Amino acid sequence: MKKPKTLIPTLREKERYVKFKVISEQPISYVDLESAIWNLFLDFYGELGVSEISLWVIKNLWDEKEQVGVIKCNNKSVQKVLTGLNFIQRLGDSRVIFKILKISGTIKGLG
Amino acid sequence: MKFFDLHVHSAFSGGESSLEEIAKTAKLLGYHGICLVFYYQDEKQKEILEAEIEKLKKEVGIEIYLGFEARNLKELKELSRKRRSFDLLLARGGEVEMNRKACETKEVDILTHPEYQRNDSGLDHVSVRFAAENDVAIELNLREILISSKASRAKVLANMARNVKLAKKYGAKIIVCSGAVSHWELRDPLCLASLATQLGLELKEAKEAVSKIPEKIVEKMKERRSENWIRPGVKIVGWEK
Repeated sequence: MKKPKTLIPTLREKERYVKFKVISEQPISYVDLESAIWNLFLDFYGELGVSEISLWVIKNLWDEKEQVGVIKCNNKSVQKVLTGLNFIQRLGDSRVIFKILKISGTIKGLG
Repeated sequence: MKFFDLHVHSAFSGGESSLEEIAKTAKLLGYHGICLVFYYQDEKQKEILEAEIEKLKKEVGIEIYLGFEARNLKELKELSRKRRSFDLLLARGGEVEMNRKACETKEVDILTHPEYQRNDSGLDHVSVRFAAENDVAIELNLREILISSKASRAKVLANMARNVKLAKKYGAKIIVCSGAVSHWELRDPLCLASLATQLGLELKEAKEAVSKIPEKIVEKMKERRSENWIRPGVKIVGWEK
């Protein structure tokens, strides 16, 4: 399928990457994490609200061993993402806390 | 930036987790200090708690303050009299009389969840003006949102937003706390601050609500507990020979 041309930088959405660590009773899988984040955000902000966040839980940056992951969103929605993470209390049978490690404009900047 | 969570319950005060679990989790999340809140029974209980807290401070390496939460007007009166013997005095909000009295009392540091189990925000412009005058911080309690859902959560959020609006208008302090009863309910300080941005605070104000404002409350507490302090507004500056 043909893709549209890449937008010029000034028209592109500015993105932010939120690096976080999951503190939990048992190790968490990516599938559980992604579904919990999407369900919670859809519940809390609604479909329109989530569409404004440009939410993406990046699969290949999920470190199962360290339980560290990255959420991508746009620059105006970082606070919405952080607020949403407050409300995730359980992932499966395990109670969880999200610790924010870094927020950056590029993946490289996350370190 | 130093972060504080000044409203945490433990197994000693209706919570689930031990003091150690709470302190270790708070340290892991990057808090500089937390206030463990209890319900006052007697002097003996206070002494036991003080000893436990001192021990924990050394073990974990985090500032821990001893706070008592007054659940009704009688307790508030009693704890106000004993104010200098512990770190922080919190007043449990919810009832209009209690909210108003807490705002009028100089000894109170934090009015917790004034909109608790109410259909309205529990505060009016007069109460908030008193809170600003008496340096009483109004709390935004995360746990109150966590334990509600759907329509009731929407109401809680609306009531909190109303209190934020009033506090901003009259210059009252706003503080964000987890209100955790288990160490699993503690939250990252940045996540806590972000909650306040959704309720009407600017990002800078929201960050201050978990750092600068609680730090000022702690400084005020330290001053109050010093030997030179006599009563609100009166302290010994120096002795003249």
